[in-house]
Amino acid sequence: MSTLHDLIVIGGGINGATTALFAARGGMDVVVVDRGPLCREASGVNAGTLTMQMTRVALIPYALRAHQMWATAREWLGHDVGVVVCDGLSLAFTEQEAELLTFRAGKRREAGAPITLITGQQALQIEPGLSDKALLAGHCRVDGYANAYLTGLAFRTALLDAGVTLMENNPATDIQQTSSGFEVVTNQGPVRAKRVVIAGGVWIEEMMGWLGIDLPIKTLVNQLAVTERIPTAMRTVVGIANGLLSLKQYHHGTVVIGGGWQGVGSRDGGACSLLPERLVGNIRLACHAIPALKNARLARAWTGFEAETRDALPAVGPIPGITNAYVIGSIHSGYTSGPYLAKLLADQILGREPDLPLFPIDRLLTPEPHAQG
Amino acid sequence: MVSAFTRILANHHELVHFNVDGVDCVAPAGEPLATSLLAAGYLMLRQSPNQHTPRGAFCLMGVCQECAIHVDGQIAQACMTPVRAGMDVQLRGVV
Amino acid sequence: MSRSSPHDFDVLVLGGGPAGMVSAITASQHGLSVGLIDEQAEAGGQIWRAPWAASSGKDASPEVRDGHKMRETLARSNVSCLFGRRIWSVTDQYRVEVLGADGVETYQAPHLIVALGAHERVIPFPGWTLPGVMGLAAATIMLKAHGLAPPKDWVLAGVGPLLAAVAAGYARKGHPPKAIIDLSGPSDWLATLPSLASRPGLFKQGVGWVVSILSSRIPIYFRHAIRRAEGQDRIAACVIGPVDQDGHRVAGPELSLDCDALMIGNGLVPGGEVPRLLGANQVYQHELGGWIPDCDRYGRTSLKHLYAIGDGAGIRGGAVACSAGQLAGLAVAHDAGFIDAASFARQSVQPLTENQKLAAFSAAMAHMIRLRPAQVASISPEAVICRCEDVTRQDLVCAAKAGARDVNQLKHFTRCGMGPCQGRMCGDIAAEILAQEHQVSRQAVGYWTARPPLRPISLQSMLGRFEYSDIPIPKPAPL
Repeated sequence: MSTLHDLIVIGGGINGATTALFAARGGMDVVVVDRGPLCREASGVNAGTLTMQMTRVALIPYALRAHQMWATAREWLGHDVGVVVCDGLSLAFTEQEAELLTFRAGKRREAGAPITLITGQQALQIEPGLSDKALLAGHCRVDGYANAYLTGLAFRTALLDAGVTLMENNPATDIQQTSSGFEVVTNQGPVRAKRVVIAGGVWIEEMMGWLGIDLPIKTLVNQLAVTERIPTAMRTVVGIANGLLSLKQYHHGTVVIGGGWQGVGSRDGGACSLLPERLVGNIRLACHAIPALKNARLARAWTGFEAETRDALPAVGPIPGITNAYVIGSIHSGYTSGPYLAKLLADQILGREPDLPLFPIDRLLTPEPHAQG
Repeated sequence: MVSAFTRILANHHELVHFNVDGVDCVAPAGEPLATSLLAAGYLMLRQSPNQHTPRGAFCLMGVCQECAIHVDGQIAQACMTPVRAGMDVQLRGVV
Repeated sequence: MSRSSPHDFDVLVLGGGPAGMVSAITASQHGLSVGLIDEQAEAGGQIWRAPWAASSGKDASPEVRDGHKMRETLARSNVSCLFGRRIWSVTDQYRVEVLGADGVETYQAPHLIVALGAHERVIPFPGWTLPGVMGLAAATIMLKAHGLAPPKDWVLAGVGPLLAAVAAGYARKGHPPKAIIDLSGPSDWLATLPSLASRPGLFKQGVGWVVSILSSRIPIYFRHAIRRAEGQDRIAACVIGPVDQDGHRVAGPELSLDCDALMIGNGLVPGGEVPRLLGANQVYQHELGGWIPDCDRYGRTSLKHLYAIGDGAGIRGGAVACSAGQLAGLAVAHDAGFIDAASFARQSVQPLTENQKLAAFSAAMAHMIRLRPAQVASISPEAVICRCEDVTRQDLVCAAKAGARDVNQLKHFTRCGMGPCQGRMCGDIAAEILAQEHQVSRQAVGYWTARPPLRPISLQSMLGRFEYSDIPIPKPAPL
């Protein structure tokens, strides 16, 4: 009979890996299974932005605490993920955007994000690389970025140090409920544990199905791009009011251009592809904000999945009706907020009272209030 | 120039002047800039952006990016850039 | 990026080397409208590269003559030549984004033939990033197209027939290398002789090379390889040492050769980015140069109406590329309904037979320039593998020890392959190092995920003219 672990986490992205890390540090014997290497999907290929200005209002209190976690990643994670804390600017180029920005920044400020509105001229003083075309900017000192592609290496080392059993490149295909807990069917054989956390990113819908739960998850296919190394063109994180641009320059000189412009592809396999006209749109927006980018060359563009529930709020908490089963995922701006929500979930699993409430999925399991037919 | 690359064929293209870091150079119009620079004795074209080690043209077919330098203020691969009269070439890479 | 119709052509051919030219001409002869895209100003690819400086006179090599002949045929055909265009994106339904002199353009066709060739493999050694160290293919281009010889003291190194061709070519022009450093030994060269029986023309050409090299009295160091290059801002010397037939370093004296240039090449790596980008099945074929799209003998990939031919679909050389081009051109004509099955079968006989005849020779050449794993194992820890990002062998080994098991993870751990060459210069070697570290197959460590742009392009060139209000900004993210 194989080992009965205290906890199995299915999915080794930010959410799963952080949950596993804190559960292990809380004394549990934890195993993580992932169909690929750790943090190689959304957690490794996202734009790395750690911002309040793209975070949903309901998530601001979580994001603020998560930002603090990222800023001190060396302490609790023990490894560098290239976190830089810097000013963030959310720009408005038109009257309409200024209105949108004023409203959105106000709501986020009410939720605790220290965002102030400044003029385009003031924004230029904070970010000399900025275009002079901005009318208004949301300014937040709690902003910054991590180097998403370093996440896997950092978590891998931390999890191993914490004694977590890693089963990478080992897809799970089913979950059986047993008298002692759960048996997860994987390519490398069954893995048994008293508790299970489903943390499979855009694939949690299928995984929840293994437990007989119907949790619809929408898949976003976010396009991203990066320039080759260029001389310093900017020092802040720059976005626009509607959230469809994120820009930052890493210390080695590359500029990552994101913002959630949609490519095509599905989570069910096959190649995802970028839509060239949307890449061009995203790049036009980027160059409109930071004109010096025009001189850069595009080195690479790619797509990354993002999971979204029907209300675009997280699915984090116990799975109703199944003792000792939990889910974590679909956290909007999940790279920013993921670690804190995962820490809260680990607290709950360890029998501690979480500091802030989770986002239980009960709300998502009833028919949608205005759903058709 | 000592140990420059040597032209071994009579060239029937018109010769044009361009400048490299402010120095006047002559080459057949339309020749890939990387080739003209080799013939003019410019082997080192830039430094690598990370460790700042000297680099020169390597593949001459647009693949390696080692000859990406500033041409008229823009980054261009010298091996893919035809020489034009009056071209302003700066021997520095992106960073 | 405005377009008149969704389909500009019946078939688009990417790459104007032998395979691309022949396939385009063949498809066109059968009535298909064909667009042929290449970055160079003229067709020819590398092997048939149009001599730019030289006249195409009496001393023109057979490749130059073949190239001229095919360019003339192309000019007489109905193929639309879209040259001087850098391909930067290929998406499904075969929509191709290019960057030309007038900015970004889009072309689309229901069928796509990819014939984008190969790039050179150079086994890294300390100092290979010094100015004056250049690829063997670069030497060929200088020799054939631009009439440029390296400085007086230059060294030629590597493996394969290109070594002999370049040495002989420069010897005839009065600029022989001061030494030839050949990984192969005389026995390896002799072993290729039987395969040459089917290629009397090449045999003659080969004999000519040998005569030129011998009469120039160029010292040849068989079973030797470059250990390192030395110099400050450019190469001043290279140090060579003995190796065995697999490229293992063996005991024996090192020798330092003062030089102003070193031309080196260790074979070719298929550039299969486009089929990879589109998600076509890939196979690792060591003898064909590495990862290639899985194709039938007509060049059909696993994706409908996507064909891959030429060295980008496996290193087989220019002659095979021509018959492969004919076969793909015929297959496209058949698959698009321009010729019936009987006609397709009938017309395929000749190129298929030709391919069979060439097989032994092309396999012998490909074998000679195959990657020798022992050569990679012999790379010094301090040698830079990824030139763009200055990532050393030691860095890669550390990443492997830290748990990187596939090349894309390796890239994340080290930035190897993240620079502007997009991993073309280092990919094959980095993958081999990783596989050796974990003692697993090349299949197990995989290949870089292909990403657009297929070559770096400036953001400026992508922008075009626009007003802020033209940007189709999607609806805001939820609050």
